[in-house]
Amino acid sequence: MPALEVRKLTKMFDLLKAVDTASFEVPEGSIFGLIGRNGAGKTTTIRMLMNIYMPTSGEILFRGRPVDHEFRARVGYLPEERGLYKKMKVLETILFFAELKGLKGKDATKKAKEYLERFELTGRINSKLETLSKGNQQKVQFISTIIHDPDFIVLDEPFSGLDPINTNLLKEIILEKKRDGKVIIFSTHLMDFAERLCDNIAMIDKGKIILNGDLNTIKADFSKNNVKLTYEGDIFFLDNHPIIDHISDFGNSVGISLNNPGQTQELLRLLIEHNVKIISFDSANISLNEIFIKLAGSPAKEDLNLA
Amino acid sequence: MPSYRILSVIKRELREKLMSKSFIFMTILMPAIMLIIMGFQALMVLYQGDKGTKIEVVTESAILTEECRKVFSELEFIKEGSWTITYNTVPLKEIKGYVDSKKSELLKELTGIIFIPDKALIDKNVEYYANIPNKLSVFEKMNGPVNNVLIDQYFKEKTLSPEELNFVRRSVKFNNFKVSKEDKIEEQGIGNMIFSFVFAFLLYLSLIMTGTMTMSSVMEEKTSKVVEVLLSSVSSKELMAGKIIGSTITALVQMIIWLSPMIILIATSWITLPVKFKFDIGLGYLVYFLFNFSIGMLIFQGLFAMVGAIFNDPQEAQQGVFPVIFLIMIPFFITFSMLRNPDNQLAVVASYFPFATIIVMPCRYTLVDMSFIYPLISCLINIATLAIIIPVAGKVYRVGILRTGTKPGLKEVMRWVKAKG
Repeated sequence: MPALEVRKLTKMFDLLKAVDTASFEVPEGSIFGLIGRNGAGKTTTIRMLMNIYMPTSGEILFRGRPVDHEFRARVGYLPEERGLYKKMKVLETILFFAELKGLKGKDATKKAKEYLERFELTGRINSKLETLSKGNQQKVQFISTIIHDPDFIVLDEPFSGLDPINTNLLKEIILEKKRDGKVIIFSTHLMDFAERLCDNIAMIDKGKIILNGDLNTIKADFSKNNVKLTYEGDIFFLDNHPIIDHISDFGNSVGISLNNPGQTQELLRLLIEHNVKIISFDSANISLNEIFIKLAGSPAKEDLNLA
Repeated sequence: MPSYRILSVIKRELREKLMSKSFIFMTILMPAIMLIIMGFQALMVLYQGDKGTKIEVVTESAILTEECRKVFSELEFIKEGSWTITYNTVPLKEIKGYVDSKKSELLKELTGIIFIPDKALIDKNVEYYANIPNKLSVFEKMNGPVNNVLIDQYFKEKTLSPEELNFVRRSVKFNNFKVSKEDKIEEQGIGNMIFSFVFAFLLYLSLIMTGTMTMSSVMEEKTSKVVEVLLSSVSSKELMAGKIIGSTITALVQMIIWLSPMIILIATSWITLPVKFKFDIGLGYLVYFLFNFSIGMLIFQGLFAMVGAIFNDPQEAQQGVFPVIFLIMIPFFITFSMLRNPDNQLAVVASYFPFATIIVMPCRYTLVDMSFIYPLISCLINIATLAIIIPVAGKVYRVGILRTGTKPGLKEVMRWVKAKG
C-alpha cells in the first residue's frame, strides 16, 4: 500500500482549473518530488494534500484512509511562503507549533534545544524572530516543521531563497529523515535538486500530471535515445539532421535526443567527420530537465540557468 | 469539547494579549484617557471665555433701571470685575434710535444691549441687541437676574413678605421614588443612571477595542503568511474559534477589572454613597451583564475576524469594517436617548433587536424595573445571532484567509458564504 495516494484530484478557482485530475502515488520511506514550472499547480496540489484547500473533486488517501486530523498531527509542513509571528521568541515559536501537533512539556523543550544547537541558534533562543536574519528565520521555520518527528514531511519549494550552506544542511536533514523511514514530499521547479534527491517524481504542467513514477525507471526509459555531449567546435550541422529529434543546449554541454537508439554510432561518426573535439560522449544519459523540456516544451528560465 | 489544537491557539492568544504591556495600557490607561477626553469635551462645552464682557442694561423707567443696578451689582461676576454693566433709561419709541447711536460701540467694545421694556412685567419678553446676538453665556448669566428683577417689581405692589417672594422665585424640585413589585417604595438616586451610562460606555469601548485588535491580528497572520503554517495543523474553524475565544477571555478579564470598583461597592459596605448617588444594582445583575457581554463579544469577534480575513490592506479593512462599527455605535447612541426617557420606544425596540440588544438591554435593565424574562429573551436573541453569525464568519474566514490579490466585492464574499463544505 502506498503511503499516500492521490486519485483524480481537481481544483477549480472559478473558471480556472488549477489542478486537473491529478493522480500519483508516494511510496513508503521515499523522497517524492512534485516538479513543474512556476504556476504549474504544485502549491495548489500540496495545499489540497494538507487539507488547506478543499478539492473540487478527487480523493487523497493516507495509508488507505482519507486524510484527517490524524494525518495532520503526523505531518510536518513547510509552505512556500514562509511566515512566523515576528514578535514571538525563537523557543516560544517552536514550542507553539510543537503543541499544535500534540507535542509539549519537557520533551518538546528538549528536542527544540537539540535542533537549535544543530542549527547554531542556541544563542538566539530568547530572541524575537523579527531580530533574526532571513536565513535564521528559515531555520526556525524548518525546526518548527520537524520538531514533532512527523512521519510525513511536506516541503513546498524548500530550497528557494536558501544560501548554499543552509541548502546543504536542509538536504542533509532530508536524507537523514529518509534513512529514519520517513516520507518526504517536496515540490520544486529546480530540476537538478529533484534529480539528486528524489526516488519518485510526479511532473506537473498546466495542472496536469504529465509524468510520474520511479525516477530511475523514468530516466532509463527516456535516456535510450539520448546522448550527453561536451565538446569544442561547431555542431550546427546537426540541426535538422534526419537522425536528430532535438538538441537541448545547456551552455557547457548539450543533450542530444536521437530518433532511435541505434543511431548513437552514427552520431559519433558525424561528429568526428566534422572535426568536433569531443570532451565527453555519454550515451544513455538524460537529465530530468531534458525530460521536462521534451514533455512540457521550453523550460522555465530558472531551470535553464541551473541545469 | 475543544480540541487540544483550539486550546493551543487560545493559550497563544492569551499569552500575546493578556500577558502583554499593551493589555495593561489598554486596561488602565485607555478608560482614563477616554474619560479625560470626554471631560475635556464637557469642559469645552461649558467654557465661556467671556471675561471682559461689557453689557448695557436699558429700561424704560428710572425705577426699573435702579432696581437692575441694585440686583446686578450683587452678582459674583460683576463683583469680580470680569463683566461690566452700565445702565440707562430710554423710552420704548426711542430704543431703535438709541441702539443705532451705539452702533460703533456695539461693533467694538460693547458686547450687547439688554432692553427691558415695561411690558416685560406682563409678558417677560426682553430684547438683546448685539453684533453676535447668539451668545449663550449672556443668556445663561443674565436670564436669572433679569427674571428676579421682574419678579421683584411685579410683586412689589402686592405686599408680599421676602419669604413669600423667595418661594415665588424657587423652581420645583422632583424627588424620585422607585415603585417596584418586590421592594417597598424607596427614594431613588441618580446612581442607576450613572451606571447605565458607564455600562454602555464600557461595552462600546471594549467591543470596538478588542474587535479592532482581533481584526489586526487576523490580517497580520494573513499578510505574514503564518496562517498557512497554522492551517497545516489546525482547521480554519479551530483557528477562528481559538482566536475569538482567546480574545473574548481577554476582554472578559479586562471588563472584570474595569467593574471591580463597582463589585466592591455592591458586595461590601466599605464605601457609603450619598443618597443622591444611590443605586439598586445587585451582583446578579453583574453576572447577567458579563454573560451578555461574553456572548456579544463572541458575535463581534466573529465579525471582526471575518473582515480581517477578507482584506489584505489595513486601509481597505478600515473601510470594510465600517458596517460592523455602526452595529456598535448606533446602539451606543440609542442609550443616550434613555437618559431622558429610559423606556422610549426606540430603546424598547433596540433592546430586542439583534446586535443592538447587546448594548441597549443591559442599560435599560439598570433604568427600567422589568422581569428577568426580558433580559433572558435578549440573551436568547444574542445566542441565536451567534449561532447564525459564527458559521457565516467561519466560511468567509476560511476562504478569505488564504486569498491574495485584489479586494473581493460583496458578490464574491456572498459566494464564499454560499459555497458548500
